[in-house]
Amino acid sequence: MNFSQNIVLPFFLFSFLIGFSQDSADVYKKRVLENTEVDFLSSYYSQDGDNAAVSGGFGSEELTDATGTVIVSIPLNDDDILTIDAGISAYTSASSSNVDPFDGNKLADPFVASSGASSSDLWGNVTGTYTHSSDSRNDIWSAKASVSSEYDYFSIGAGGSYTKLFNQKNTEVNVNLNVYLDTWKTFYPIELRSFANARNGFDPFIFDRNSIIGNQNYNPDFKELDSKERNSYSLGFGFSQILSKNLQGSLMLDFIQQKGLLSSPFQRVYFSDVPDSFIENFQLADDIERLPDSRLKIAIGGRLNYYVNEVFVLRSYYRYYTDDWGIKSHTASLEIPIKISQKFTLFPSYRYYMQTAADYFAPFESHLSTDEFYTSDYDISEYTANQYGFGVSYTDLLNSFNVWNLGLKSIDLKYNKYDRNSNFSASIVTGGIKFIIE
Amino acid sequence: MIKKVIIIVLLVASLTSCVAVKEYEKININDPDMALSDKKADRNTTTFHSYREGAAGANGGKTGGGCGCN
Repeated sequence: MNFSQNIVLPFFLFSFLIGFSQDSADVYKKRVLENTEVDFLSSYYSQDGDNAAVSGGFGSEELTDATGTVIVSIPLNDDDILTIDAGISAYTSASSSNVDPFDGNKLADPFVASSGASSSDLWGNVTGTYTHSSDSRNDIWSAKASVSSEYDYFSIGAGGSYTKLFNQKNTEVNVNLNVYLDTWKTFYPIELRSFANARNGFDPFIFDRNSIIGNQNYNPDFKELDSKERNSYSLGFGFSQILSKNLQGSLMLDFIQQKGLLSSPFQRVYFSDVPDSFIENFQLADDIERLPDSRLKIAIGGRLNYYVNEVFVLRSYYRYYTDDWGIKSHTASLEIPIKISQKFTLFPSYRYYMQTAADYFAPFESHLSTDEFYTSDYDISEYTANQYGFGVSYTDLLNSFNVWNLGLKSIDLKYNKYDRNSNFSASIVTGGIKFIIE
Repeated sequence: MIKKVIIIVLLVASLTSCVAVKEYEKININDPDMALSDKKADRNTTTFHSYREGAAGANGGKTGGGCGCN
């Protein structure tokens, strides 16, 4: 691919050029990590909107998610670190609950959450990472493996990276490779299940108990999905440079190739050329979303951080993204850490995001049944989003506060408010506490 | 667009690759707030972006794994 070659080639050429200026002098060998570090992370996320993909782009997107994570970094010797990262997440979702809107006691309605089994779920993840640094600390290798699971989805991942530092550690280049092999348990919208493939018929648990309103000859041409696997392969390149005593920047370039089932099996689509059928207030699906089985994503991003003075730091970020589904996106953010004392720092931040729509997106009831691919998932529609954030950080340089043999190192607390121009908003509170084991 | 970015990057990098800030001069560069990555506490925010937005990558966040479908 010419585009890829045009980007990758300069990165490699530049890496080689930089390589000639590397320092070869022996340096004092300090332990890569002095003590075991333990991070406790948590977050509470909530969102709401009017364009739920489960109900074809029309319905409640209300969702809450609480996550807790523990990250333990253990120095195995002077050069090696083992990091174990384990997390669990619990969510409740109005839109997911409407995979089966008829399983509760409430009125079937895309804006009313059903109380059935699909209304909540747990997600768990464990990742192990092994990192080795050379004696000069100019070469760093890492390898990682991960596994994550939720009720209808299972994922295993593996990856590795190599980092080279040059130019008296003023310059750094990095290459990383990650593979994720995922498997779906396919759950379709409840009203379509009895029409799957050759099983043409009405599920008595739904259709005997409820009357169809509108088009009474509901007979969707529904075919089950062939593939249940989703594989993701990513190749990333990084380059960072100290530009002066107060300025440094980095560039990142990622290629992500996804293959397999890239749609969500339970997201409905309504066709404009098919008569509408309802049970109570809920429109019965014409089909599920159908998307190509391949997607190539390319993202290039840069960071530039400037140390203004002892009080202010400017942290900026920009990313351009494009993929072969037709989405192009710009992301820009600015965070200004303000040190109000030796221990406390404030973090006001702003993030701007915009994207164009995927070629296969159309709003509620706008697709034609003759289309090959279709979705009404507003996450891949055209929109702009603004995010305002504020955080506070406490740093205990002397680890003076101790719990058992854990010495407190830092506490972070942040709040972010996120608003799209398409009737969607979200907020997230995140917290992090870092201890060192003395 | 991409070509312009690459050209700018190479120009900036070629101008600065000879600059070598000594270790003892890196006190400001080594400030934790100067790190060229997000804080760990920001990780779940980055994950929510990757699930709710079409774009992903080039931010140190997830590039795969998990459906993000709820």
